[in-house]
Order: sequence, then C-alpha cells, then structure tokens
Amino acid sequence: MKRVGVFVCHCGSNIAGVVDVKKVAEAAKEFRDVVFATDYEYMCSDPGQELIRKAINEHQLNRVVVASCSPRLHEETFRRCCESAGLNPYLFEMANLREQVAWCHAKDKEAATAKAIELIRGAVAKVRRSAPLTPGVVPITKKALVIGGGIAGIQAALDIADAGYKVTLVEREPTIGGAMVKLDKTFPTLDCSA
Amino acid sequence: MVAAARHPNIELLTYSEVEDVSGYVGNFEVTIRKKARKVDATKCRGCGVCWEKCPTKVDSEFEQGLAKRKAIYIPFAQAVPAIPVIDQEHCLYFTKGRCGVCQKVCPAKAIDYEQQDEIIKDKFGAIIVATGFELFNWREVYGEYGYGKYPDVIDSMQFERLNVSSGPTGGKILRPSDGREPKTVVFIKCVGSRDEAKGKSYCSRACCMYTAKHAHQVLEKIPGAQVIVFYMDIRTPGKAYEEFLERTIHEGAIYVRGRVSKVFPEGDKLIVKGEDTLLGRPVEVAADLVVVVPAMVPSRGWDKLAKMLGLQTDKDGFFQEAHPKLRPVETFTAGVFLAGACQGPKDIPDTVAQASAAAAKAILLLSKDEMATEPMVASVDQSVCAGCGLCVEVCPYKAISLTTIAERVGGREITRQVATVNTGLCQGCGSCAVTCPSSAMNLKGFTNEQILAEVDAICL
Repeated sequence: MKRVGVFVCHCGSNIAGVVDVKKVAEAAKEFRDVVFATDYEYMCSDPGQELIRKAINEHQLNRVVVASCSPRLHEETFRRCCESAGLNPYLFEMANLREQVAWCHAKDKEAATAKAIELIRGAVAKVRRSAPLTPGVVPITKKALVIGGGIAGIQAALDIADAGYKVTLVEREPTIGGAMVKLDKTFPTLDCSA
Repeated sequence: MVAAARHPNIELLTYSEVEDVSGYVGNFEVTIRKKARKVDATKCRGCGVCWEKCPTKVDSEFEQGLAKRKAIYIPFAQAVPAIPVIDQEHCLYFTKGRCGVCQKVCPAKAIDYEQQDEIIKDKFGAIIVATGFELFNWREVYGEYGYGKYPDVIDSMQFERLNVSSGPTGGKILRPSDGREPKTVVFIKCVGSRDEAKGKSYCSRACCMYTAKHAHQVLEKIPGAQVIVFYMDIRTPGKAYEEFLERTIHEGAIYVRGRVSKVFPEGDKLIVKGEDTLLGRPVEVAADLVVVVPAMVPSRGWDKLAKMLGLQTDKDGFFQEAHPKLRPVETFTAGVFLAGACQGPKDIPDTVAQASAAAAKAILLLSKDEMATEPMVASVDQSVCAGCGLCVEVCPYKAISLTTIAERVGGREITRQVATVNTGLCQGCGSCAVTCPSSAMNLKGFTNEQILAEVDAICL
C-alpha cells in the first residue's frame, strides 16, 4: 500500500509570491495514493523538517514529495529528514517549484500554479514506483593529488601534509611558485611574496 | 615554496603533467608524465656552471620577455627545485646536434641528453585542482594600444618584474626601450575585463588593488613622478583595501574615470588619448611608460583537464563549483576540489583562504577509512541484455564492460556476452539507460518505468 505525502514550500515569497501554494496543496490531495498534503513557509527549516517527520509518523507515509527549490540545493536535506523519520531516503522525490516555476513564470501566476500542480503530479507518479536503495561502501586511498604548484596548490598541499596525509604536488613548469613568486610586494600590507 | 619542498609528506613533481585520471572518489588512478629535464636530479648540485657556459640565449618566460635566459636554465635564482632544465626547442644539441657544452662542463656529470619522460601511475583519494590563471592576451586584440608592438607599453606582470629587486632591472622602474626612468606613468585598467566586445564580461577583481599598489610603487621609487590611472570603476572591497587606495591617492596618484581610446608614440613619448567621463571632456597625456592591466583568464590547458576530471566550466573556462554559495570548493565530481583562480579571478588572500578550504574538504575525505557511494547507479537485467555493447561505448566513466556468462537454454549450456556495471565507477548519468535498445539497462532511482510514469502523469 503506497501512502504518499506532499509538502509544498513557500520559500518565503520566492514561490508563494507567484504560485498559489494553498491551491497546489489542495490539488495534490487528489492524486493517486496521496494521503496527506500541506504547505509551509520554509520546508527546509527545522520546523519545516519537523513537520515532515511528524506527518510521516502520523500518517504512516511511505513516500514523500517535497515541492520546493532545485534538488541541487536541498535534495540531501530532505533525504536526511526522511531517513531520520525512519523512511528510506530514496523513497523521496522533489518537484522544483522555484527555478522551474516561480522564477521563470513570475508574470503569469495562474499558469504558474497550474504548472506547479502538474510537476507535483509527475513527482507523485514517479515516487509511487520508487524502490528503497542502499549506498555501497568503498575504501579510501589516504593520499591527495594537488594539480598546480602556485600559491593555491602550495597552501593546500601544506595543509593536507600537516594534517598527516601524503600529498603529491604536480606542477608543469620547472619550478613551483606560480604567479605569486613573480610578484614584488603584495597589497594591502606590502609584504614580500616569496 | 621551500616549506612545501622539504615537507616529509609532500612529493614534489615539477615539470610534470597529469595525463589521465580514472577511478572515482577515494580511488582515483592517475597517470602523470614527468617530462625529461635532461638533467639527472639525483646528481645535479645546482652549481650553475651549465647555464653560465650555455651559448644560447632565449627570452625568459619568467621575466615576461624583459630579460634573457639560457637554453639550459632555472627559471629564477630561488627556483624550487634548483635543478635546471634543457629547453629542447632552443638547445643547439637538440636542434642542430652540436654544442654539448653543458655536458662537458658539468662537474657532477648530471647532464643526460638521453633521459626520457617518465610515466608515473599512482592512486589518490582526493584531488585538488589549483591550476591558476594567466593574463588575457591583450596584444592580439587591442590595436588601439599598439598590439604590444610599442616597447614602452607593457602589462602589469611585466611591471611587477621591473619592481622586483632580483628582476631584470634590479628593482628599478625603467623603460624597456631605452632604460630611462619614466617620469609620467599611465595605467589603463580593465583591458579585457568588463569588455564584452573585445575581452571578457567579468571583473577580474584583483586589478584595482594591484594597480593601486603599482601606482604607489612609482610614486615611492621615482621622485617627482606623475601617475595617471584610467579606470571604469574603482572596486576595492576587502579588509584594509579601500584605505590602501586612499593612501595611494593621497600620495598623488591621479585617477581619471574613462577609457583610453588610443595610445601612439610621438618622439620618445607615448600619447595617451582618452576621456574624463566625470568632467565630460577629452584628456591627452604624454606618457613615458604605459601599463595595461589585462584580465585574468584560466590557465591554458583548462579544457583538457576539465575533460579528464569531468569538471564543468563556465563560458570563460573557469571551473564550476558545485554551488556558488554553499559548496564553493567542491565540484560535481566527488572527491575533486577547487582552489584559487582556476575557479574564478581572485586575489591572494581569497586564493589562500580557498586553498585551505579545499584542503579541509580533502582532509575530511582522507580521514575516513571508507565511504558510502551513491546508490543511484546503473544496473543491468542480464536476462534481457543482448550484449550489443552500445552502453560500453557511451559510458563516459568507463564503468561498463562486457563479460561472458554461462546459462542453460533448453537443456543445453550456452555462453553469451552481457554488460556489467562497476558500481564504484558509475556516476549515475544515465547515458547507458537511454542508449540500451532492449531496455535492459536501468538507472536505479530513475528507472525507465519511473520516468515514463512521470512523463505520462504530466502529459496524459
């Protein structure tokens, strides 16, 4: 039995200023297997995540859709949130109502709201067919490669080496030093660059 | 530099280039070409007899063409390591098969004309990319400043070399044409920066400050000198930066807001024509030395390295961070971090800060014995796989190979080829899944069934 929860985020006014989030949450309730849908100001905030966790427990949700920003920003946040409520983090799906709706259709609120509903409809259809996934485990070679022997590469290599790890510093020129070693005094303190 | 060379945990591979990277976070397999210096580093004592006696003189890259070096050389006196390299493009032995002086005079018998490039293969858990910047090649496009053919129109890196006590003029600011001390020095900022027509659209960030430093250095070193700085805007956000600029202005630097339209020689002067846009009138200066301040661009070879490491770049070739605010030193390739100007133009304080941030991320990774891998990887339904191998060809991570399996069909044992996925190498891009003609390949978390259901829900 699939039990999907849909959580619509306002992102302050980023989404709610364009999309009718109440209407979207109401519409989501009608989708197949959706047993709970709501909206909140900042879904990524602590109270927002707590709201998701509570709903997972109260409504025995086994699939979650958060309709908010790009997964690039908060996919990990919400996966961890689901996991902390005992749900496999891969039974979670995101619908992007910010970059793909509010920000690019700011002038047409009605159409934006309609598109938001459709994106959630798609996400719900996808998450209904999700299977729990488990990460694999790989060993780590305790050695770093730094490409470039200018001030950035030297600083990074020294920090890693001082932490006790082996570092190979590769520089294509015959000497390390990069651009900085060509400089005289450096601003704003006018100390030397050697 | 010396601290890095002497650190027991740091192996220094200079005159070397990364040729190939495979593997994945925690387990990168890297091939490095250590180019032949033609000098045996274990024997060389850095005495310098070889470059003293070498008869071939070439423009020094390190001195920005303001001085000569020999065909066997160290880039500068404090180079690390202090082991010379033979420039095979100019060395008489390699171009004409004669000379051989360096080998004859070397007391340590370190010159080895037969030395070959060395290929080093090693495994690494994390990679930091710190390939830096170079200056925009203004000489190719800025005809109004003379395409670099006027000797006394130089760029800021050349001006730096004139200021360094170990540089070509011993730290004196002198004109390259006649060695005279310039009395009027003009700086032209934003040459290639914020100039979409001829250069780049971005601001190079460090130039306003280092030009203020250069102006200060002229006023400090040349009594009675006049410094005029042409600028579009002055941008000096940073701790103690604005104060530094104010100090330079109080010392007498004249800042003129406007672009320079033309520089041309007249007698032994350079006439700089521009506009003071605040006063709304044309300006003309008879200068002795003109310094153009070029944009910062990514170091050559950025495209090759981006391909090798699977890095994304912006339109100008700077490596793309995973998130502009929240993941500024990470990349979309797990285990590869960015430090310094290869990510975008920046000054030294920002570079050092970012380098330490990248190091911290690398240390975080190396401090673990093992790590979890992304489970959203490709998987093959071998019962459906026809073994066509199309997925092997399209996989950008070399994660798929064909193997032979044995199975019983109708009571007989047969063998056939099927695809298998190395889940450590697979990055979950999905190229194989869309290519597979028999739908045997699926991306976990994005299965064909899931994607079709999503599309149907939206479209039907």
